Amino acid sequence: MTRTGPYLTGRGGLLRALLRLAAFLPLLVLGAHAQAPPDEDVKPVPLLTGSAGFITNFSGGQPDLHPIATPLVLMPIGQRWVFETRVTFENDLIHVPGRSGFHGGPVEKEVEYTQLDFNATSYATVTVGRFLTPFGIFNERLYPAWIRNLQSDPLILPIGIGPSSASTGGMIRGGFQARPQFSINYAVYFSALSTTSPIDSDRFAGLRTGIFMPKARLEVGGSFQHLLEKERSNLFGFHAIWQPTLLPLDIRAEYANSKRGSGYWIEPAYKLSQFPFLQNEMRRMQLVARYQQFFTADLVSDALPPINTRECEFGLNYYFMDGLKASGNYGWQFSGRENLNVWTMALTYRFVIPLGPAGSAR
Amino acid sequence: MRREWILACCLGLMAGLVRSAIAQEQEKSGKGSAVVTADGAATTNSNSSHDRRSPKALRSSASEQGAARIEGEKLFRANCGRCHQPPHQFPPRVMAMAIRHMRVRAMLTEEDMRLLLSYMTQ
Repeated sequence: MTRTGPYLTGRGGLLRALLRLAAFLPLLVLGAHAQAPPDEDVKPVPLLTGSAGFITNFSGGQPDLHPIATPLVLMPIGQRWVFETRVTFENDLIHVPGRSGFHGGPVEKEVEYTQLDFNATSYATVTVGRFLTPFGIFNERLYPAWIRNLQSDPLILPIGIGPSSASTGGMIRGGFQARPQFSINYAVYFSALSTTSPIDSDRFAGLRTGIFMPKARLEVGGSFQHLLEKERSNLFGFHAIWQPTLLPLDIRAEYANSKRGSGYWIEPAYKLSQFPFLQNEMRRMQLVARYQQFFTADLVSDALPPINTRECEFGLNYYFMDGLKASGNYGWQFSGRENLNVWTMALTYRFVIPLGPAGSAR
Repeated sequence: MRREWILACCLGLMAGLVRSAIAQEQEKSGKGSAVVTADGAATTNSNSSHDRRSPKALRSSASEQGAARIEGEKLFRANCGRCHQPPHQFPPRVMAMAIRHMRVRAMLTEEDMRLLLSYMTQ
């Protein structure tokens, strides 16, 4: 992805963003002090959590071994502040023709986000720093290896999330019960241009909102983003999550549209817990499928497929226990250039390590 | 050669994790009845420490706790279950931090956070 603005523009943009956010902060702080502090019975302890995984991918017959670890540090500050940062360590080991074994470069390290959250009111949290861009549902909510149902990324994932999945600036987000029948969640954010690797980001402003109906267990929402640089275009997307009450079924879908491409994915996942035999085994298994399509547009992006592509995947997840999951999936990718078979096998583990005494109440 | 050693170590580590997880799961299912007994004892102790209250007040407090628990479970299914599997029990202070983090990520209200914490630590 090419950038048009100089580095100083990024700095200036960041400064302006912080100044704008600072204008809102006093109001929120006053609101926060006007109400009682949160009624927490226990004092939170700093945590080192995150996930580790070993993902084996065969794309078009080419094996690719992908060890990955994403530790996340959570640090409570007082009663209303949280500092959080997530780092990724990963490597791609590939088979080099003429040489035995798998070979890769040095371990890639990336700070995915570093943010400071301030719980201003019951319905609003202010976030500053570098945060995952809340466009659609996958990047922010479903990305970690231990959460996602299929280990491969959706084709449209790079749309709307910036050059390295994160924004640099500020965000206000929250949720509230609008009616007994539904609740509304929202996130409004601004990101400044930053060309400093690895904290590069585009200059844009956007919002995401969703309506959740607990009775139907359905969430529908939309994302909008206006790019304040380059082609100054608008991006938009829709998402839906539905969990029918009668079945252990989970259907997720997303659509995204931009000047650089558009597409959608739909992903049903069914837990076999209702099967009447081998119940101890069946309740740990989950069948997953995903169908997705990507359509090119006027502009190109390095992160998106260069031609129209569609992909169909089927997979099986086995949950050994909470956080430890084995998964395997097989898919076909069709495009004008070539058709590929894609195999993925993965073992992922979510760890939680308290960085202090964990058991005593305040 | 070095890469192969790293790969072998990664695979060995993963195999160890799987084995420990299975062992932990078996141990947990074996201790299930003991945990219930321990919880029961704790409840008895807790009740005996408040025995100055009238039976009506005790019943009212228990029904309030029960209602909060049901509400917390509903909230968990609605908010947390949309994205991930239910986690096993963590110590209270760990859960308090995880829920404070999820308040931001899942855009929970303060009331939701309080009910979820109560549900997840009981």
